[in-house]
Amino acid sequence: MTSTTIATANAEAGRVRLRINRTHLAAIVLLVPAVVLFGVFVVLPILQALRFSFYDWNGYGSPSKFVGIENYIKVVSQRHFGTALRNTTFIALVSLLVQLPLALWLALSLYRNTWFTAFLRTVFFLPYMLAEIAAGLMWNFMYDGNYGLAHSLADAIGVEPKFVLADPAWVMPAIAVVLVWKYFGFHMMIYIAALQGIPNDMVEAARLDGAKPWQIVRHIKIPLIRSALAVTAFFAITGSLQLFDLIVPLTNGGPNNASLTIVGFLYQFGVTRMRIGFGSAVSIVLFAICVVVSIIYQRAARIVEK
Amino acid sequence: MKSMTRALCVLAMTAHGAFAGTVEIDMVHIQSNPGELKLMDEMAAAYEASHPDVKIKVRKFGEDYKTMLSTALQSEDAPDVIYSWGGGVLSDQVNAGLLRDIGGVLADDSKSAVGPAGIDAFTRDGKLYGIAQNVSEVVFWYNKDLFAKAGVDVASMMTWDGLLAGVKKIKDAGITPISLGAKDKWTAAFYWDYLALRLAGKGGLEVARTGANDGFLAPAFVKAGEEFLKLAELEPFQKGFEAAGYASSSGVFGDGNAAMILMGDWNYQESKTNSTSGQSVPDDKLGFFAFPSLQDEKGNPTDTLGGINGWVFSKNASDEAVKFMAWYQDAANLAKFAKGGYYIPINVKAADSLENPFQRQIAKDIGASTYHAIFFDQSLGVNAGNAVNDVSSSLASKAISAVDAAGDVEDAMAGDR
Repeated sequence: MTSTTIATANAEAGRVRLRINRTHLAAIVLLVPAVVLFGVFVVLPILQALRFSFYDWNGYGSPSKFVGIENYIKVVSQRHFGTALRNTTFIALVSLLVQLPLALWLALSLYRNTWFTAFLRTVFFLPYMLAEIAAGLMWNFMYDGNYGLAHSLADAIGVEPKFVLADPAWVMPAIAVVLVWKYFGFHMMIYIAALQGIPNDMVEAARLDGAKPWQIVRHIKIPLIRSALAVTAFFAITGSLQLFDLIVPLTNGGPNNASLTIVGFLYQFGVTRMRIGFGSAVSIVLFAICVVVSIIYQRAARIVEK
Repeated sequence: MKSMTRALCVLAMTAHGAFAGTVEIDMVHIQSNPGELKLMDEMAAAYEASHPDVKIKVRKFGEDYKTMLSTALQSEDAPDVIYSWGGGVLSDQVNAGLLRDIGGVLADDSKSAVGPAGIDAFTRDGKLYGIAQNVSEVVFWYNKDLFAKAGVDVASMMTWDGLLAGVKKIKDAGITPISLGAKDKWTAAFYWDYLALRLAGKGGLEVARTGANDGFLAPAFVKAGEEFLKLAELEPFQKGFEAAGYASSSGVFGDGNAAMILMGDWNYQESKTNSTSGQSVPDDKLGFFAFPSLQDEKGNPTDTLGGINGWVFSKNASDEAVKFMAWYQDAANLAKFAKGGYYIPINVKAADSLENPFQRQIAKDIGASTYHAIFFDQSLGVNAGNAVNDVSSSLASKAISAVDAAGDVEDAMAGDR
């Protein structure tokens, strides 16, 4: 009796186990490559950086001088770190409040297909296709008051050229111009794709009901491309946090570190000085900022969806 | 089992030896002059022709040379022969056990050819790690026409106060006194380097490196910042210098838009390359003078700032690699590079082949130098060296106090001691 029960129970358990295995086998097989790749190329480097950030290490050999949280204290007390935080915040705000509205406005004007809008769309999208370094060099030349466009322009009007990239007060606005110029086309394209997905009869119906163009935009189009807006906002924020390669040819973080971003700070004070521990500490701080931002973003996105 | 493995190993080794036959020499550098690159390839080909068992790979690493090198040197496939500026970077590489001591392989006449300064630059703890190749010196290049227009006599520039007065005079004449490319911070560092070298002297620098007597916060280094600020107060640099790189600043000087530039001997060529005309200041209008001397200086007015560059060898480099480099560096071969004017060889015999009068004079000056200090961003190591660069560009635009500048350097140095 007892042995039969146990046997049945075992058989039962075996079946259950088997069932779990079968249903999950496909999932496991499909997941393994992704998990391995993610682990090796994302999780592992983050953990490595976390470990390095507790060492004083110049990149040679293996880290051996454990210094606790000293690197973090140095990061926070470095006088240029505040500048970097401020600049990155500024870039994020410009991206969200200037770049995205501009892109939306252009998308609303250009999303219908005619040869002329197609032409303009291509023109607006061109800057995005340029390599960051090339775009930076180009604008560095445009802003140059000795030889560049700024010089010719000032000459034509008959005033002294202004060296915006050499002026701590003007350098960030000047970079923001380049940034908006470089990326608005990308966001515009996303909006256009979303706008073209709106069923025409919906807009038609609204118009028949007497909705004015602005009302159609406000109550039909924008709500319907909500997810595109959310995606571009996300791109704009993450792009701002990572901004680096455009600035190197423009100012290299100057004048006097006035245009450092967080990544620029990491590069100037961590990588070029071969202070891997310090640089890792900066990257962990950046990572923490990214995590916080993405949590806020998720919350905000959920509220908007509702 | 063990003996079997051992036998296999021996077999594998002999097989390797038999098949290998040729020795590969992997040589990495950051040279960019097309004429020099061509000559380097020709040299490698010539050596291969006379040594059929040797294969030489000459490779250029990009702009981030130092960062790339630290990774490459630690890989299994480390290059054998590496272009080096010596200094603190070399010390780091030696301390990490990445380089090979070549003292035993290099012949005595190769050692004597580079002179004591050449040996010194590549020696750490009594062991020789590299072969010095070329020297450079930072001087004040000036435009004779612009000096004449402003009524400034170059002889008055021998003292720092004279230089400050001259700068004022040139500025009053409506001419930009000095061209500077502070976006590349190292260009501004030459001022701080030289002022510190003059004021603290060789002894003072050596003491500061150890951290004794307040290290780089010692009065001489604070004073270096103060004197730099005195110059900056005169607003001697071209408009927008904060955003200009070295290339742009050498162009400004080459185009005759600034009277002076404090730069290495290489600026002779670079000012041509970067000037609108491609000609720079004509030779008869171009001159140079040594960095001026200061009151109460502990250094010698004949102390010079510059570089001693050469080639070092990674720990797995073969004897053949050292022999090849010794051949590459013999006077007859170096003379070809000197003739092309690509650099000033440290080898005095080869330097005789320099054809450019400016380079000949600079070679002579370095020969007569009482102490040839290496660029601080090399000699102090990357961390403190970059701190010097950083504060110097800030001093040039009066964005930092002399005490904070010295403090930043000391902080960075303290982390490396």
